[in-house]
Amino acid sequence: MTIWLPRWPVQRRFVEQPQWRAAPLFVCRQRRTGVMTVVSWWLPPLPDAPRGEAGGIVAGMPLAEAMEVLARSRGVQACRSAVIDPDDPAADREALAVLARWCRRFAPVAAVEHGADDGREPARSEGFQPECIQLDVGGTAGFFGGEERLARLAVWTLAGRGFHARTAIADTPAAAWAAAHHTSRLAEIRRPGSAVASRPLGHADEVCPGSRPPRAARAARRFAVVPTGEAAALLAPLPASALRLDSADLQRLAELGIDTLGGVLRLPRKELAARFGATLPRRLAEFSGARAEPLAPPEADALPQARHAWEAPVLLRDMPRDILERIVERLVATCVAPLAAAGHGITALQVRLERPRWNGGAGDAAMAEGPTVIDVGLYRPSAAVAHLTDLVSLRMARAVLPREIDAIAVEVLAAGQATTRQRLLFGGVAEASQAQVGMLLDRLSGRLGRRAVFAPRIVADAQPEHAWMAAPPLAPAGAGGGSERGPRGAPSGTVRRGAAPGEGSSPHGPVNGSRRAPRREHRPAPGADRKPAAQRRPTWLLPRPRRLEVVSVVPDGPPVRLRRQTRWTGVVHAQGAERIETAWWRGACVRRDYWIVEMESGERFWIFRRLPDGAWFLHGVFA
Amino acid sequence: LASQGIGQGISQGISQGQGAHDATARRETVPTGFATLDRLLPAGGVRRGGLVEWIDLVESGCEAVAPPAGRSRPATASSCLPAGGATALAFAVACRIAERSEGGAIVVVDRSGWFHPPAVLPWLGDRRGSLYVARPAREADEVWAIDQALRCPGVAAVIGWPGRVHSTALRRWQLAARTTGVVGLFVRPSYTRRDPTWAEARVAVKPVPLPVHAAMPRQTDLAVRRLHLSLVGGPWCGDETVVEKSAELLLDMCRGHESRPPNAGARRPARACVQAHEDLPEQGKERVSCRAS
Repeated sequence: MTIWLPRWPVQRRFVEQPQWRAAPLFVCRQRRTGVMTVVSWWLPPLPDAPRGEAGGIVAGMPLAEAMEVLARSRGVQACRSAVIDPDDPAADREALAVLARWCRRFAPVAAVEHGADDGREPARSEGFQPECIQLDVGGTAGFFGGEERLARLAVWTLAGRGFHARTAIADTPAAAWAAAHHTSRLAEIRRPGSAVASRPLGHADEVCPGSRPPRAARAARRFAVVPTGEAAALLAPLPASALRLDSADLQRLAELGIDTLGGVLRLPRKELAARFGATLPRRLAEFSGARAEPLAPPEADALPQARHAWEAPVLLRDMPRDILERIVERLVATCVAPLAAAGHGITALQVRLERPRWNGGAGDAAMAEGPTVIDVGLYRPSAAVAHLTDLVSLRMARAVLPREIDAIAVEVLAAGQATTRQRLLFGGVAEASQAQVGMLLDRLSGRLGRRAVFAPRIVADAQPEHAWMAAPPLAPAGAGGGSERGPRGAPSGTVRRGAAPGEGSSPHGPVNGSRRAPRREHRPAPGADRKPAAQRRPTWLLPRPRRLEVVSVVPDGPPVRLRRQTRWTGVVHAQGAERIETAWWRGACVRRDYWIVEMESGERFWIFRRLPDGAWFLHGVFA
Repeated sequence: LASQGIGQGISQGISQGQGAHDATARRETVPTGFATLDRLLPAGGVRRGGLVEWIDLVESGCEAVAPPAGRSRPATASSCLPAGGATALAFAVACRIAERSEGGAIVVVDRSGWFHPPAVLPWLGDRRGSLYVARPAREADEVWAIDQALRCPGVAAVIGWPGRVHSTALRRWQLAARTTGVVGLFVRPSYTRRDPTWAEARVAVKPVPLPVHAAMPRQTDLAVRRLHLSLVGGPWCGDETVVEKSAELLLDMCRGHESRPPNAGARRPARACVQAHEDLPEQGKERVSCRAS
């Protein structure tokens, strides 16, 4: 199985810096000549633009040229808000290796695709960056209910971690690689009556990590399963680049009029080496399976792992919880010891409760399940065995454990430099407090989930729904919204956002990312109180504004009475109006006049009048 | 007065009896930053390792104003959120406590998911990074999260909106807070004011509208909020809630500080009045006693 993570450098940065989703992102590399070239990029999708629209930007394009394309398609403001991040291939590769280790939940052997074949030949092209994880699922697909269910599970499990992935299962890694890069095309090929042959051939699917195709097509397009023995026939319409050829070979094939994988497969093999060199015959051999393509697990002995196996399966219900925790503690201690000796700590840990494998009894549905996997993540590297065991126990207490197991495996997925400082005679309380808070946040995240624990950060956005973001707690300085680095936005799914019924709202969060505060967006309404009220925000903000019945004597004036359930209540004081409107480049506009009203009972509400139609809404309560 | 004295004596006795648990706790009193509130609280401020309950007497919240579509009946008590200003006051007090704690964080346990951080983040100033929010999905998780936060010595204050909580959980919170010195500030709806509590102080908060000078609603600068605070007694005084002291406070909504009345700086009053109530204020049985300032 191949897991393709399109535009991996961008995806890695989005997971680490979720606020960067709000603006165009360019990952650039400086050439020796000083020219900055685009390695990977991402543009926030516009509501009225086609999904995955790249705007004519391609990898390898000079940054200046890419910015010109961006300015032409999105406007100068988009260029000003664009984030430019230097390329860091080592970090990208390391993060992909960590993810490959995490993917061992699907198969015991997981490897990052390698650009240099067998480590002896040069990479496919200059600046090759791996974007795929390859797994040997030959013996494990049955545990997940079949290959199709495994491919789908991999896609959605990675989506839960914030990654956009496409998966494919085929006979050989090369065929799986080709299918994973063209899952959309394969879905059309397999659809009866599709006119795929008439479509122009492209390279890999144009995938925008943040884009969302229609729900019906989404599932089928993100994974593909090539039946055994049908790879050559099914993948024949794919472009020749699906064979992982370099640009020179592709150019030669194009000169011969061969642009499909099927056309390459029909070429006589004997003459290939003489005409194209050694690469093309080897790729064909890898595709057909004539040449083995071994998977090299990333740094197999770099991070420790430990396993406890029983001679016979044991029932978990018969095992006291403290014994189970003691076993886990011993395994964790085994993993921690070599790391602690090197001054490192664990930041991600995986515990697998492995179910017994039966050679017979294929009809037993319970046996067709994979191991129960418990992931533990920490905000800071930790070498404290008790703390790590405690976190595992918290997750285990909320997990659905299997009925019986035959082994427990603990594997370190990621480690980092543990920060230990010499104890101070005076002071040092703040650092100790920070460490204790870090352990508390680990515990809270362990039970409530990582998305349920966050540190709020103010975002320079006038629209109240997007005025703050949920940043990961204990994030390094500059990673949060308070940093001055680039635009800020809200990570998808972490911040409540909403719009009044019938009012436009960007489904992808705030797309405005200007470094400067958008002055036009936030101003007092004409003729209204000029005192600044921007700092006064309600303590409760409704997820979606609720419709209100309001009586206002003067047109565009302050509200006089509100209807509360069945009776009308008088407004004693009103302050406003604070006009908030979003800019045109954010898509559907939000235009509101906000008022703070104090009722006869002393309550204070934050209400607004929607300017296009004059409807009133309750948006917050000053509690 | 006699009953109050007996109540205080019992309270002190209980406190002294728990000395074994308080061996490691920091029990100094921290001023809240609100002189009015400090005068109201029994210890002259908030004691570290103690719990303070803020009974919000206005609990209409958003449901009563604008029920969601398809739901015509009035909101139940559990779905109502406190909306009378107690939350803002609790946050203001938490900010002051965090200022006086080295490296202390504020942990907010928000089960409703409606907490809007921009309302209070400006109050923290340079300490904005020390605010953490946990959003448990279930009531059991909420109780657990508050308990865990109170057990962390690196936390200065924990803010939560627990509804009706079992007395055992409250007792656990109290012991956890006393062990670590963390202050628990809990905003609770008015229907819990007769529930037994382990909090050191229970303050009822009721908003008071600013004075009106005309029939029409005026465009007033609502930067200040007027709150009526009452120190209410616990369950040891019987079924009825007893208001021990009360005072009015002006909360600056921009800075989270106490605001002085407009004419306070011109001439200092000769006497400060403390109202002593023997029963609920709405029952009209209040007695005002004046003492020299």
